[in-house]
Amino acid sequence: MTVPISQSYAVASYVIKQKVSRRKRYPLVLMLEPLFRCNLACAGCGKIQYPSQVIKKHVSLEDCLQAVDDCGAPIVSIAGGEPLMYPFIGELVEALIQRKKYIYLCTNAILLKEKLEAGLFQPSKFLSFSIHMDGLREEHDDSVCRDGVFDIAVEAIREARDRGFRVTTNTTFFEGADPDRMRGFFDEMSGLGVEGMMISPGYSYSKAPDQEHFLRRARTQELFAAALENKKPEWNFNQSPLFLQFLMGKRDYECTPWGNPTYNMYGWQKPCYLLQEGYAETFEELMEETEWKSYGKASGNPKCQDCMVHCGYEATAVDHTFSSLRALKDTAVATIKGKL
Amino acid sequence: MTQDQEQSLQGWVPDLENGVTLTEVVEFAFDYRGNVTLIRRDGGELVGYLFNRNINVSIPFVQLLDQEGEASKIAIEEIENIKFTGRDTAAGQSYEAWKRRKEEEKAEQAIQ
Repeated sequence: MTVPISQSYAVASYVIKQKVSRRKRYPLVLMLEPLFRCNLACAGCGKIQYPSQVIKKHVSLEDCLQAVDDCGAPIVSIAGGEPLMYPFIGELVEALIQRKKYIYLCTNAILLKEKLEAGLFQPSKFLSFSIHMDGLREEHDDSVCRDGVFDIAVEAIREARDRGFRVTTNTTFFEGADPDRMRGFFDEMSGLGVEGMMISPGYSYSKAPDQEHFLRRARTQELFAAALENKKPEWNFNQSPLFLQFLMGKRDYECTPWGNPTYNMYGWQKPCYLLQEGYAETFEELMEETEWKSYGKASGNPKCQDCMVHCGYEATAVDHTFSSLRALKDTAVATIKGKL
Repeated sequence: MTQDQEQSLQGWVPDLENGVTLTEVVEFAFDYRGNVTLIRRDGGELVGYLFNRNINVSIPFVQLLDQEGEASKIAIEEIENIKFTGRDTAAGQSYEAWKRRKEEEKAEQAIQ
């Protein structure tokens, strides 16, 4: 099982409700960034390179919860920065569980074991630790620019699993990734007992200093087709199978950037998690005043032409699932048979 | 200046009378990953990180987080110039720079 039935039901109910109410644009996952502070300094991460007053600052707990309520998405992905460095992370998670939100706490896991031992979190079907793992030891430590982090994360995964927590992984595959190594990574994570893996190609942030190391669209499809071909039954992905088929070049989708709105200390980020083209003061302003037609592949916007990242396309795949009986059947068959 | 800092605007004082407009400078400042010093038309100065701007509203504005982390909104019509005074936190932080440093460390260790 890749996603608990209760979570699948909650998401399905939510999406069907949006469809029935004919809401054209709706959020599926809120990307909540309480802070930009991090205990890693990964090259290519456009989220952490700020002056000190920005790095020291964080969003208040009240503002985080207001953003969650205003957005209304059934899933909240707590990102950053490193969320485990947020001083109110325990309170935030508890408040989200009370709201019956499904939480993906995205962490590099450096502090996870310490926080678990301190009893900061309790296992819940609503809480999943989404561990940042960019491949096997060599690739991951290379990606995060620090040796030894892969082993720390593996130890934290084991600790969390032993304590009964849901654990998933979140992986970005960059240019030069080896499909065989990717398959080895899927084997290793499956062996650790992670509930599911989330995978995505990298994207060239317009402000990232690492423009050349991200995948271009055509090579992305080639890479993911090779890595996911003859998917092993023990590999569980915490993602829509239609999105994975999109990555493999078997489907063509358009971006739905409003599906994963981002809130941080600057406000609601326009237009998406990756591009920073300005900020709206309210969620309503984001949804109503963003020039959505200027984004996505069909728009011709050069910044969107190579992008196949999950924050833009996973919501599209989920929406597609509930748009026709054929798509629903395709999703069900792929999920049950485990074939992509 | 190192290879990684070649594109940085750190230290730039725009000459608004020669080829660059205030609107362009605002865009550069929005993209800049360091503090800027905003010079007001009344002579006042504000140092901070310019995190937002909007020119498509009735009163175009910029928003800054000052050095104490407090947010301010300033109408663009009140701005005389913007100086790129703070350290560019993105400069020298590229993946290539990290790989080079790592290779140099390995080479040094091999010699020892």
